[in-house]
Amino acid sequence: MKTLLHMQGLTKQYGKEKAVDSLTFSLIKNTSTALIGPNGAGKTTTLSMLAGLLKQTSGTIVFDGEITEDIRKVIGFLPQYPKFYSWLTALEFTEMAAKLSGVDPKIAKQEAEKTLEFVGLTDAKNKKTGTFSGGMKQRLGLAQAIVHKPALLLLDEPVSALDPLGRREIMNLLKELQVTTTILYSTHILNDAEEMTDQLVFLRKGKLVEQGSMQEFREKYANPMYKIYFTSTEEAAKFVEISPWPARQEDSIAFIHIDEKKPVMNEVLRILADSNSSLLKVERATASLEEIFLQVVNKDE
Amino acid sequence: MSNFSVLFQKEWRENVRNFKILWIPLVFLLFGISDPLTNYYLPQILNAVGNMPEGTVFPFPELTPEQIVMTTVSQYQFIGMLVITLGFAGIISRERKNGTSTFLYVRPISYMSYVYSKFSVMCILVIGSVILGLLANLYYTNVLFGAVGAGAFVGFLGTYIVWLLFVVSIVLFSSAAFSTAIASIVSLALVLFVQFIDALLGAYWTISPWKIPMYAGYVLNGSVDKTPFIWSLIITLLAIVILILGAVYFAKRNISKTKI
Repeated sequence: MKTLLHMQGLTKQYGKEKAVDSLTFSLIKNTSTALIGPNGAGKTTTLSMLAGLLKQTSGTIVFDGEITEDIRKVIGFLPQYPKFYSWLTALEFTEMAAKLSGVDPKIAKQEAEKTLEFVGLTDAKNKKTGTFSGGMKQRLGLAQAIVHKPALLLLDEPVSALDPLGRREIMNLLKELQVTTTILYSTHILNDAEEMTDQLVFLRKGKLVEQGSMQEFREKYANPMYKIYFTSTEEAAKFVEISPWPARQEDSIAFIHIDEKKPVMNEVLRILADSNSSLLKVERATASLEEIFLQVVNKDE
Repeated sequence: MSNFSVLFQKEWRENVRNFKILWIPLVFLLFGISDPLTNYYLPQILNAVGNMPEGTVFPFPELTPEQIVMTTVSQYQFIGMLVITLGFAGIISRERKNGTSTFLYVRPISYMSYVYSKFSVMCILVIGSVILGLLANLYYTNVLFGAVGAGAFVGFLGTYIVWLLFVVSIVLFSSAAFSTAIASIVSLALVLFVQFIDALLGAYWTISPWKIPMYAGYVLNGSVDKTPFIWSLIITLLAIVILILGAVYFAKRNISKTKI
């Protein structure tokens, strides 16, 4: 569990507005972290500061134990909307990226070709990037970010603009990269984070709201409950009245919150059987990822 | 300077593939050729198409070869400078505005190399085009009007190249410091407008970068006053260095304005 990067009190202020407000968290080597938050939460600003595109108003970034001025040597960065020099081909562009990042010029072209193959652009490597589709641009963006094998990969909304197929492909590539690379990426879709994230960092209005693993969030915000479906609204109302546990009702469905594994399903079923209600279905439900996202983001400060 | 060759190659490819490498020399070539030709053939042209009454006689001035070269330079001073300032005003600012340079700025490039790569490509294009145009001009002048002294011409060309370097530095600096639109206005003002002011009120001083083209003409005629000429050259070269360093400073400072 070696810390690769630690940011301490990172703040970016525009006038009186704080786009990022004293952000403190760490990235563990060869793990992936998702920055999650609604639009305008400060995700892009945070990534830009880490990439050296923006200078922080205050706070420090410690990389591998040192406060580093020029972090650019060890990172790969993929912006949210990658824009390429339309007159360069994919191979020329990736080769240039490799050389500028310090790859030995003799093997730069070879490395570029390997990387393009990895992201699945071999067929299009000699085409001008101006003709590329959105998905191809995203892959080329990924290629230029990883061609020099950076220790830290910063990705701004890597899959948000893609269709489900493209999203799946990029996610699979990232999973492969995760073995040897530390990844920090931003997203506003929790489902994307579910697959390959060791750590979630929730941001809201530039502030860190909460951080932890997916498992921790699931447990904390699962909000488990029994959903009891009745044949009619009256039946549900009747049950809510006689229920020994606090229950609420929405149309013909009654909800019983589960607290510390209580009550158990058997007890609920017994009451239901005794009450003679006309029942359709009983299920144990937990909050969906979307509900978890909304709960965390709307949490009281 | 380690990234210079890579960045230079990128700039070069850009200018080859957007055909600047073609049309900028063509503009200067066209104006280089047109002056000796029109001046020489003007009587015939007027005779042929001018619809003049029989027996009209125009007293055409006898132009010296040096004067022909200088009419071309005065074309360059207006249309040529327009082409340079407007053609390159976005050389840094456009990359910043459309976000393509993000991929450069997140890499460990030296901003000195970055600015030099652009400066070099601009110099090759601009100075190359002017030399090409002036050599074509020299050829036709030589054939139609008579020889220009080789030494005087080389001196003139060298002086004029210093002026071109000054213009290129102004454009590069503006593009590093401002957005494309403002960079166009600033460099147009600094190149054309100040030159105009200098010509209008310039009788009161003799040392000025904007007088370099005029001094280049004097060098060609062999009638240059050494002291103000040398001082103007020194001031201009100094200004070029300051503008380039300023461009490096602003290119680095403005990376936060890059669209991400």
